[in-house]
Amino acid sequence: MTERTKIKSALESMLFVWGDPLDVKTAAQVFEAEPGVVADCLKELQAEYEEREGGILIQRFGDSFQLCTAEENRSYIERLCNPVREKKLSKSALEVLAIIAYRQPVTRGEIESIRGVRCSYVLEGLVQKGLIEETGRSEAVGRPILYGTTNLFLRHFGIENLSELPDLEDEDFLNAAPGEGEQLSI
Amino acid sequence: MSYKVKLEIFEGPFDLLVYLIERAEMSIYDIRISEITEQYLAAIDEYKSMNIDVSTEFLVLAATLIEIKSKMLLPGSAAPSEEEIPEDPRKELVQKILEYKKFKQAAQLLAGREETILDRWYKPQEDLAEYDNDHAFDVLVLDPDRFLAVFREFLEKRRRLEEIQTRYERSPRTRQRVGIRDKMRQIRRYLTAKKKITFGEIMTDCEDRYEVAVAFVAMLEMMRSGRIRVKQKVHFGEIMIEGTDR
Repeated sequence: MTERTKIKSALESMLFVWGDPLDVKTAAQVFEAEPGVVADCLKELQAEYEEREGGILIQRFGDSFQLCTAEENRSYIERLCNPVREKKLSKSALEVLAIIAYRQPVTRGEIESIRGVRCSYVLEGLVQKGLIEETGRSEAVGRPILYGTTNLFLRHFGIENLSELPDLEDEDFLNAAPGEGEQLSI
Repeated sequence: MSYKVKLEIFEGPFDLLVYLIERAEMSIYDIRISEITEQYLAAIDEYKSMNIDVSTEFLVLAATLIEIKSKMLLPGSAAPSEEEIPEDPRKELVQKILEYKKFKQAAQLLAGREETILDRWYKPQEDLAEYDNDHAFDVLVLDPDRFLAVFREFLEKRRRLEEIQTRYERSPRTRQRVGIRDKMRQIRRYLTAKKKITFGEIMTDCEDRYEVAVAFVAMLEMMRSGRIRVKQKVHFGEIMIEGTDR
C-alpha cells in the first residue's frame, strides 16, 4: 500500500466516525502531513465516491468534507424513517442571499436598491440562520453594517467555494430558462 | 386592450415589472413604456381591489414609470444639436432591471442547489466521549474548571441525543398502525368483560402518546353515537366509561 492509499483509507474511516464536517487542517494534524496533501487525498476520495455512483457521497464546502447520502435515495430514506427535512428558504431570502454572495461585503442599502424593496427582516432571519454574518462597517455615511456569507451558506447550497459560483455577466447564464440554472456546473 | 394579471406574489416592484415585460415579450432594451405603465398600474389596482396592501415601493416605481412615460411623450428638447443625442429616459430603469434580473437568476440557481442538498442526509456526530480514554480519571480530580468542563460535556451530550431523537423520529407508517376503528373495537371488548372501565385503564395498554390520542378520539366517537356514557367528576379527574344498551 502506498503512503497515499493509506492516507485515503484512513481519511475515509475518519469521515465515517466523525460524521460532522471534517476540516482539512484537523485531518492534516492527525497525519502530521501537509494540509495540501490531505486536501488532495480528500478530493480524490470524493471523486472516487462520485464515480462509484453509490449511496454515499462526500460533500465539500470550503475546507471541510462530510459524508452524505445520495439525493436520489431520498424517498427510500423517508420510507425507512422520517428525518425532519429543513425548510426551504423563501424567494426573497434567496434573492437577498444571491446579492450578498456576489457582492459581498455589501450593505443593506445596496441590496435594497437592487431589489427595490426593504429587506431588514430578511437580513435578520438570514443572520439568525447563520447563512450570513456582519463582516464590518462600510466607510460610507452612517457607517452601515456590511454583510457577507458564511461557511454554513456554502454548506446549505453544496457550494465548494464562492469562486465557483457562475459568472453573472455570462450570457449563457443570464439566458438560461428558469430552473435550468442548476444545470450549470458549480 | 384587455389583460388579466394572474395574482402572484411578487418579491418587489422590479419582480412585477420583469414579469410584465417578459409576458409582453418585449425586449428589455426597448420597453414600450406606455403599455407597460398601463399594465403595471392595472396590476396595482387589482391588488388594491383585493385588499392586498401595496407597499410604497410599488408606488415609487409606478411614479418612475409615469415620469418616463411623460418624458417620452414630450418632443425632444427644442432642436438638439447635431452631435448630442438626447439620452433615452428609459436608460436608468433598464440598467436597474438588468441588474435585478441577474440576481433573480442567481437566486433561482441557489434554489436548485438547495433542492438537491435538502435531499441529502447527514449523520450528526455521535457521542464519542465513551471511547475517549483520557477522560476516565480526570473526572475524579475535583478541579472546578475541570468539573465545569465535564458538566458542559454532559449537557452537550444530552443536546446531541435530543437532536438525534428529533431528527430521526419514527416513521408515520409505523405510527399509524392503530386506527380509531381498532380502538373502538378494543373499548367494546373491555366493556363486554366489565361493566365500567376508566380511561386510565385504556391508557395503560397504549404504547405511545399517539395511541392515547387515538383512544381518546375513539371514546368521543362512541360517546357521540350513544354507545357509551362518559363521566368525569372533576377537571383532570379520571374518566369513567360505561356501556349503554346500544
